[in-house]
Amino acid sequence: MKIKFVSILLLGSSIAFSQAPTGTEIIDQVTNIMSPENSYSKGTQTIITSSGKERVFEFESWAAEKGKSSLTRYTKPAAIRGQAFLMLNNADDIWSYFPRTKRVRKLASHAKKQKMQGSDFTYEDMGGGDVFQKKFRSTLIAEETRDGEQVWKVEMIGIPDQEPPYPKIILWARQSDYFPVALDYYNEKDFNTKSLIMSDIQVIEDYPTAMTMVMTDNKERSSTTMRTLEITYAWEPSKSFFSERNLKK
Amino acid sequence: MKFWGILLLLPSLLWAQPEFYGYFESEASTMQLGTSNYNFGFNKFRLDIEARPNDHVQIGANINIQHYWGKTTWNFFDFIPGYAGTGMVLNVDLPDTLLLDNVYMKLSFQLFDFTVGRQQISPGVGYAWNPTDIFNSKSLLDPSYEQTGVEALRIDLPLNDRSSLIAIVQPEEHLDYSTQQYIFKSGLGSFDFSFTGSIQERVDYDAPILGDMFAKKRTMYGASTVGELFGWGLWGEVGYNVLEMDLPPHSSSMYVDDRKCTEYIIGADHTFDNSLYFLAEYLHNGFGTAKKEDLFLTDYFAALGGASHSLMQDYAFFYAMHPTFDYVTLSAIVFANFNDNSGAFSPIVDWSVFEDTNLSLQGSVYWGEDDTEFGLQDWGLILNVTSSF
Repeated sequence: MKIKFVSILLLGSSIAFSQAPTGTEIIDQVTNIMSPENSYSKGTQTIITSSGKERVFEFESWAAEKGKSSLTRYTKPAAIRGQAFLMLNNADDIWSYFPRTKRVRKLASHAKKQKMQGSDFTYEDMGGGDVFQKKFRSTLIAEETRDGEQVWKVEMIGIPDQEPPYPKIILWARQSDYFPVALDYYNEKDFNTKSLIMSDIQVIEDYPTAMTMVMTDNKERSSTTMRTLEITYAWEPSKSFFSERNLKK
Repeated sequence: MKFWGILLLLPSLLWAQPEFYGYFESEASTMQLGTSNYNFGFNKFRLDIEARPNDHVQIGANINIQHYWGKTTWNFFDFIPGYAGTGMVLNVDLPDTLLLDNVYMKLSFQLFDFTVGRQQISPGVGYAWNPTDIFNSKSLLDPSYEQTGVEALRIDLPLNDRSSLIAIVQPEEHLDYSTQQYIFKSGLGSFDFSFTGSIQERVDYDAPILGDMFAKKRTMYGASTVGELFGWGLWGEVGYNVLEMDLPPHSSSMYVDDRKCTEYIIGADHTFDNSLYFLAEYLHNGFGTAKKEDLFLTDYFAALGGASHSLMQDYAFFYAMHPTFDYVTLSAIVFANFNDNSGAFSPIVDWSVFEDTNLSLQGSVYWGEDDTEFGLQDWGLILNVTSSF
């Protein structure tokens, strides 16, 4: 009787495992939910350095083609007012605009790894689209409870010939809607260099949206908080919105 | 052009609920030039005014108030090897200025943008030099500093997302004398490229640009590209110049050939995993001479006056920058003249003291013989504080 009970338990867990989505399916869903067709937002970026000094930036951001194209323009502080970045092809192509010299400069892709205005986010981190699907192999490694929510824990290993932004990422996505609540980024030495926590998740125009994102640099002991002040997914880009012409406006 | 622009645009600015911003900049310098040491500097207040009465109109202006202190009169010959200390004097004064540097209106139509007025124009992809830029020249100690405005009419005609046609006319009192530049920009893969054509009339009336000869017309055909290869940013820019020469004064000749000069740069940059940014650029300037013995006074006039991008032919520029501490960036500039074997090393500490306030200390040590372009100077120190609002 006892053996039969254990067998039933094993069979039950096997059925449960087979019903769980695969890592690839989870990342497909995550990409889908994180990639609204278009968006316009206003936000703040607060950097707290390792020595505790705080700087606040304000910006406007436009994105289209599920995050493949984006334009970010800083509005504060005064020293960088009007500086703008145009990112196309999932941040593979970046142009920067400096209003003081009225000059547009194309940045090479290595610039993607630079910190945005000294923050803990790189240009690459801000790129959307299907990077997780194309540049990583994903495996579901656990089901956990995180802040009272059932989450999938997915290990994403970078595909070397796809030039992944990180060699490895661990991602936690809510089982209820596949929204990612946390990501750990690893370097080549398998050290967890940065951690991203998404919180204050609200449903805006049918899309779950993290109103607060905190990126912590585990090596530098600094952190950057991105707060969304205003967002809409109903914005429609005009023709040629993501162009040098508009970058300079 | 200056006055009608101001008269036309300023009232519009004031009626359109403008935004005000700008910065205060104070700079103190000391320089060792031969046996003499000079202290000098300036205080500059820049007020930018910008208004957007509607989605199609942008009006902008900036006023610069600049006070110089310390040594404000410089003898041009002190900067010319062989002439320094000879008693020859050609003084250049730096008077206090109240300057309406830019004042322009940009009209955005569905198919094109039209900008009229005094505006910054910065063609080219080079960092330290721009062979296709016929309007400006840069300081090697601070190539990214803002340029002064150019009186111009400009049309930007987008052809598609990555292609556009730009026409710039710098009008003069006679239409025939107006400078014109036309640029076609586009992109292919990870590379952007452009083709440029420009005509500059009466070149010599501002400054002669070639030795003891005088150019009456300059036609320039240029091209540039910027992209990446093997993880490095790469760029190149070339200008092929045809100069219709005029006979020098008191010449006994009856005819002079056109002069053809090529000026080009190649550059590369990279950000390493440890956040170190490195940039290198090489310039070949066919306007310059390869031997210092062949230099004429007019070459110095052209180089110091900004009519040519360099004094001699072959130069290199290096820049390295690292965000070493919280809000402290360490960087260094090295530039060298390969023709007379002179150059400079300039380390810089830049500290973002407060959110909108930067303090920088820039040193410079020069090498080369006393009769070379950079070896003429010994060392310098610049302390700069800039606060934006």
